Amino acid sequence: MSDTFVCCPFCGLLCDDLTIALNKGQAQIESAGCARAVKLFVVPRQSQALVAGQAVDLAAAYRAAAAILTRSQHPLMGGLACDVTGHRAALALAEKVGGVVDHMNGQAQFRNWLPFQDGGWMTTTLSEVRNRADLIVLAGTDTSRFPRFFERCLTPESQFGELHRQIIALGTNLPLIPGRPTDTDLAIPIQNERLGELFAALRARLAGHRLDAPDIAGVPLAQIDALLVALHAARYGVLVWNAAELDFPNADLAIQAMVNLIKDLNRTTRWSGLPLGGNDGDTSAAQVCTWQAGYPLRTTFEASGPHYEPMLYATDALLESGDVDALVWISAFDPERTPPTANCPTIVLGRPDMIFTRPPDVFIPVAVPGVQHTGFLHRMDAVVALPLSAPAPADLPSVAQALVAIQQKLNHAAA
Amino acid sequence: MLRLKGGRLYDPAHGIDGQVGDLYVEDGRIVADPGPDAVIHQEIDLTNRVVMAGAIDLHTHIGGGKVNIARALLPEDHRFDPAPATDLMHAGCGHAAPSTWTTGYRYAEMGYTACFEPAMLPSNARHAHLEMGDIPMVDKGAYAMLGSDDFFLRLLATGADQRLVNDYVGWTLDSSQAMAIKVVNPGGISAFKFNARNLDLDEAHPYYSVTPRQVIQTLARAVHDLGVAHPLHVHASNLGIPGNADTTLATMAAAEGLPIHITHIQFHSYGMEGERKFSSEAERIADAINHMGNVSADVGQILFGQTVTASGDTMIQHRNRRHASPDKWVCMDIECDAGCGVVPFKYRDKNFVNALQWAIGLELFLRVTDPWRIFLTTDHPNGAPFTSYPHLIRLLMDRNFRNSKLDEINPEAAAHSQLRQLAREYDLYEIAIMTRAAPARSLGLSDRGHLGVGAAADIVVYRDDTDREVMFAKPEYVFKDGRLIVRDGRVVEVVNGAVHVVKPEYDKGIEKPLKDYFDRYMTVKMEHIKVSDDEICSCGASRLIPHKCSVSSS
Repeated sequence: MSDTFVCCPFCGLLCDDLTIALNKGQAQIESAGCARAVKLFVVPRQSQALVAGQAVDLAAAYRAAAAILTRSQHPLMGGLACDVTGHRAALALAEKVGGVVDHMNGQAQFRNWLPFQDGGWMTTTLSEVRNRADLIVLAGTDTSRFPRFFERCLTPESQFGELHRQIIALGTNLPLIPGRPTDTDLAIPIQNERLGELFAALRARLAGHRLDAPDIAGVPLAQIDALLVALHAARYGVLVWNAAELDFPNADLAIQAMVNLIKDLNRTTRWSGLPLGGNDGDTSAAQVCTWQAGYPLRTTFEASGPHYEPMLYATDALLESGDVDALVWISAFDPERTPPTANCPTIVLGRPDMIFTRPPDVFIPVAVPGVQHTGFLHRMDAVVALPLSAPAPADLPSVAQALVAIQQKLNHAAA
Repeated sequence: MLRLKGGRLYDPAHGIDGQVGDLYVEDGRIVADPGPDAVIHQEIDLTNRVVMAGAIDLHTHIGGGKVNIARALLPEDHRFDPAPATDLMHAGCGHAAPSTWTTGYRYAEMGYTACFEPAMLPSNARHAHLEMGDIPMVDKGAYAMLGSDDFFLRLLATGADQRLVNDYVGWTLDSSQAMAIKVVNPGGISAFKFNARNLDLDEAHPYYSVTPRQVIQTLARAVHDLGVAHPLHVHASNLGIPGNADTTLATMAAAEGLPIHITHIQFHSYGMEGERKFSSEAERIADAINHMGNVSADVGQILFGQTVTASGDTMIQHRNRRHASPDKWVCMDIECDAGCGVVPFKYRDKNFVNALQWAIGLELFLRVTDPWRIFLTTDHPNGAPFTSYPHLIRLLMDRNFRNSKLDEINPEAAAHSQLRQLAREYDLYEIAIMTRAAPARSLGLSDRGHLGVGAAADIVVYRDDTDREVMFAKPEYVFKDGRLIVRDGRVVEVVNGAVHVVKPEYDKGIEKPLKDYFDRYMTVKMEHIKVSDDEICSCGASRLIPHKCSVSSS
């Protein structure tokens, strides 16, 4: 392939314009890497499988993992930070053992899935934002968890001529906007916990209702009305949020207030939502589970078929309640995403440089998708799935290979 | 070698209409009678059985982003139809927006061996192929959507040479691994991004100033010039809007004699007569099809019950949000490429409009005289889930049954419809045409849809039953590429189908302006939007079957 550009799997933007050189077997970013990518592209080529903290060969680790799963009545396939092929294998294993699936970013994902399944929404994708958005409202996020968001999606040049974008930030962090005079932008200080109130008030004003309060969530009514005028004036407005940063009780209702305002605005003008996310392969995990089982994760495989309980099958709740009796933690992208504390046997398929304060029952080092093995991954908008290359191949199993090996040991045990 | 002995063969591609005969199968193919000395390893006596080629659905939304949105949106629908895992089959869910696994199993259980996803956005192609990779049992293929993508509209607006457009269309087919080109509400998905809520056939796009008519003519010409077997697949403007039959007739005429396929034409056959300003124009539409040999259509029959509509037509789906049942809906603008809208629907037999839609679809089936040019679809899941095909076949084959159902619908709608006067009953030969031979011919699948020597051994055996719904719901045997995959309506072996694509000739120089466009305006590299041949099997298909395009000299 003539293509020399590499796709970065380490955040939901999936920037695919990186150039990479090999230096002593290590991938080294030559251009277009953010700090996160520069750090995470460096992966050891080898690591040691562990059972009960002792070094073992991979076959012994697979056997130990299979033994745990054989004893388990209801294991949790958690983490799920891997590529599409890994997700397929994880779902196959969950189906085989009657397990439940949730992603490590499940709390954030379901803040979006709940309003989505309750009322639907209107959203857009990154290239639409880049070409059309003349007003961007950042609700409770400065987008810094997606380091190249401004550079990739909010350049002035568009195919419809130069865009004079206005950016309105709602929250406690004013975003740092590279190369832009901040005085053209508007920042409205508001606690994230109160964003729902603000959006409900905007909806009410849009519908022509009077509000009998001097302010809503600390925002004076006059400013709310001025904001509404600005929203109305946009040709193509985009409301951006990151569910992971809306970390407070019932944040799904705040998101619902946002998406309902977008729907209302679309009666007369064009607005779309852009839910940031997609880190740690979470978009792919939800997509694969949806097409295979019908539900976007938090699904258990029962004898009668897949069973979906978005409120009950959350990783933390399952581990706390003891509804699961084994944890398989898949974390192939970020060594800091170690498993949560669990009172049940834990199997970790982790990046080779993962460090534990207390080693899990079984640790299987796995290759990093997009660095050490090829694969597929979805961008945050779930539309674009990109091919991952392997600029620094290593002699480690992929998540899918490790899971298939474990499942084969299970089959042997059953035979 | 397998001998299928003494069945009644329905093979319209060879003019065989129920004659008794033997079929021989070896290495996945139908082979000639090997003579009396050949070793027959297995023989199945098919006396009194009806034998047809595997059925082909040329318009069914089975895989791609909007289907997954529909699945995620409807957990309450899945709960009524869970599919447990078995020793053979994966778990999943069925009904309106079934999971990929279940989609493949249930299609095969009805005797279908190939399914074509009609709305694959090039920007979403890799995802669509990944999804279809997890649809087992059947062959698959997809139509790439063009006509609201900004690159094309820019070409059109700047008066680009047709040859340049052809190169772009060829590149799109190649790089998205598609079987045909579809256009949805030509230019309208783009116009909605500029806040237009309507775009009629001769109305100028609010930004590009081109008209849907130009979009259709340019794309139909490109598909023809490239030698793609399937004509331009057109989801016309004004879907679902009373009075849209005029638009539909004008759209057919816009092709100016070039081949054109009008999809889910039921949704485009509405008049504005009567107190409710909603009436059937099925007769006028069917007459036009009967007189225009360049036009084919699939019906998009609606059937009563809960379903979900999933379409690239954001403009219309946003308008339809008022009818959402349950009351939730999704619209999405996508990558300067297209869009999608997902709106759950419940068609009710006592509702005047829904009942008339039902009758209009059936009228179209019965009034179009040439079964080679009208295809059996429900536009799954938009009109009804594909699992309702056996019921639909019975409606076409059994006039008494049809009239008994007519008695149950909204009486006012029944009175408005001329359905009761239509005495036609489809016979098995015509069903074999419209579900096998004709779609294979339309798609250019030379070794599918028939039972001749050299054909892939995709063979379905039915017990003859006067209740055609029972008959077509549970074939006795289904063979896929010579393997027995279904017995008595149940999967007995799981296979993985191939992906069919066309490989047109085009000038790869088109990549120069495309690369520049992607680099300047898109958030993905052009190289990465392309799906390579190698990826098709990594996505899950058993193999890639490329089809050459035959460029005519005219």
